[in-house]
Amino acid sequence: MENSERVIAFADKTVLSISGLKIKGLNTQDIEDTLSEKLNTVVRVIGVTGDRIEMDVYGITPENIDKDEDNIIKAVACIEGVTLTELAEITENKQIKDADIEHLPDFDGIVCGKEKWL
Amino acid sequence: MALSMINTALIIPTGNEIKSGVVLDIDSPEVMRVLLQKFPKCRITRIPPVADDQDQLIQAAEEWADSGVDLIVFIGGSGGGHRYSSTLSEDYTHSALESWLDNKCSYKIFGKNGHLWCNLICGTKNRSLVINLPGPYKEARAAIKAFVNTLEENPDLKALNNAMKDAVVSQYPV
Repeated sequence: MENSERVIAFADKTVLSISGLKIKGLNTQDIEDTLSEKLNTVVRVIGVTGDRIEMDVYGITPENIDKDEDNIIKAVACIEGVTLTELAEITENKQIKDADIEHLPDFDGIVCGKEKWL
Repeated sequence: MALSMINTALIIPTGNEIKSGVVLDIDSPEVMRVLLQKFPKCRITRIPPVADDQDQLIQAAEEWADSGVDLIVFIGGSGGGHRYSSTLSEDYTHSALESWLDNKCSYKIFGKNGHLWCNLICGTKNRSLVINLPGPYKEARAAIKAFVNTLEENPDLKALNNAMKDAVVSQYPV
């Protein structure tokens, strides 16, 4: 048996990256809860390295995030497992762009549709 | 084994950030908690995190599938990852499962930007039931809860996959 279907999630989000951090033993729930409360929206951590956190922030524009940059970084600094360096800054703050999802090519399961599409 | 009864389970956390300790593995304890709530007698093994490498992922599960463990749960590596952002990790769990499983069904959840946000797979390998969960904690928790709740009512792969898909999609604020 082999069956594959696809669905589209129509959610608006902004991809937010903060660099210049030292990270070890991070509980991603701590950062999601802290920033969700600060920004009053849903935040999801999608990638972490030793010096960088990448997040999806739903239903908020990059402009609003820009206005609050200092407070966001200060909030992140208070989370256990995160240490700021003097290079700490928001390095990416971009809203996702709509794609023509009616014309996504078939997806073979090994790569994503967008990868073939580009 | 009746498919609705889980006596033995294997949890495989994946990802270089989990393996190196940069990020705490908070998903595995939650998956264990949810499984034990439904199957109190279940013997659950959580193996050390596996790197984002297709061969290592399959190798980690192969021996357990050969031994007939009832359930194998992969955590993380379900999205497009590095294919969209060079700073994200390499997400290979779903492609490893696509090539390894005997029977399978999947739901690929795309964002409206055309990116693959999550590829959820339910399948079998030998006598083992195999599923994957997304890495973000709230999505992983929603998916495993949907899995155990559906297993009792309808242990069909398609029904399980559908319930897990609905649970993950419900975590996106649409």
